[in-house]
Amino acid sequence: MRIELDAALAEDTRAIGAALAELLQPGDAVALSGELGAGKTTFVQGVARGLGFAGTVVSPTFTLVREYRARLAIHHVDVYRLERVQDVLDLGFEEMADEDGLLLVEWGDAVEGLLPADHLSVELTVPGQDERRRMVVTGTGRSWAIRWERLEQVLEPWGTDA
Amino acid sequence: MIVLGIETSTPQTSVALGTEIEILASTSLTGKARQDAVVPAIEHLLRWSGLELQAVGGIAVGLGPGLFTGLRVGVEAGKSLAQVLGVPIVGIPSLDALAFGVRHTSRVIGAVIDARRAEVFYAFYRAVPGGVLREGEFQVAPPDHLAADLEARGEDVLLAGNGAILYRRELEGAGGRLEFASAASAHPQAGSLVELAIPRLHREEYDRLFDVAPLYLRKSDAEIAWDQRRRGASS
Repeated sequence: MRIELDAALAEDTRAIGAALAELLQPGDAVALSGELGAGKTTFVQGVARGLGFAGTVVSPTFTLVREYRARLAIHHVDVYRLERVQDVLDLGFEEMADEDGLLLVEWGDAVEGLLPADHLSVELTVPGQDERRRMVVTGTGRSWAIRWERLEQVLEPWGTDA
Repeated sequence: MIVLGIETSTPQTSVALGTEIEILASTSLTGKARQDAVVPAIEHLLRWSGLELQAVGGIAVGLGPGLFTGLRVGVEAGKSLAQVLGVPIVGIPSLDALAFGVRHTSRVIGAVIDARRAEVFYAFYRAVPGGVLREGEFQVAPPDHLAADLEARGEDVLLAGNGAILYRRELEGAGGRLEFASAASAHPQAGSLVELAIPRLHREEYDRLFDVAPLYLRKSDAEIAWDQRRRGASS
């Protein structure tokens, strides 16, 4: 399960996040990867907006975890500054995608083994010098297989035919 | 002596006030915001029982193993109260409290708590005069690992806890000599913490405040597998 997307502006990156938000359910986990400045936090801003959160979303690089109460309890995590798997466990990471929770992890590809078996990966790349971003969305597990067709539909406006 | 018990290792938070003679008041609640409810629940207990907070002479706190978020809140609440009130604190493994609650049996007791992620926390106990005696270490493992343990023991075992109930089907395959405790014993109770703590408080076997910490069984020595891209980007 793989979708390639093109976001011309930062606002498109947010809009993609907001479109994805429609499909998110309690217990979901989304791993975000991409170099510094690739738009991971921008994407999270979109997801939070899509879930009805009206407050400010900034990178939790130094606070490690931020929580937003919206349609889902959003746990926004950044593991960039952590070196050990135990540091991630000590955040209560394994319970963040529980109950009514949604786990959004920046640099999540580095800790993929700690994510729930069913999860979504969003990889952002920067093709040029402007706001344009390329995204590859990959789904793992049955719960995403069930939703995949619908996900393709909502993300269709940004799809690349390449 | 009035002892306050705080148990937060499972989706059911439980608080109790008790003495050597009886449990004076107790309450338990489940739900999404249960962590936030620990302190209000204690306030309610005091109000209902007509006791002043200053009447509390000791704190008993459940250490898990169990759910991370609840444990962190519950243990910190207990430590804060112990410090503010200037009273001793005793940390007790939550599996001990679970086994204590079903100790009136001649069977070996298996205390089993759901650890999420298709695993359980568990330990085995034997009833002894005045309490329970743990046999072996705390474990975190998939239910089939516990089933293999049960099969290897080959004894009559009473299984208690939400993990035993959740994985009953898998565990029953381990043989016909198992009995399952009722749903009423699915969660460790703060009243059991109080009962377990009182003898220790009388013997002055307190824990040092800063040594009281949740029991985390999921440990990792691994480094995060940062790839070249991150190294390149961060340097």
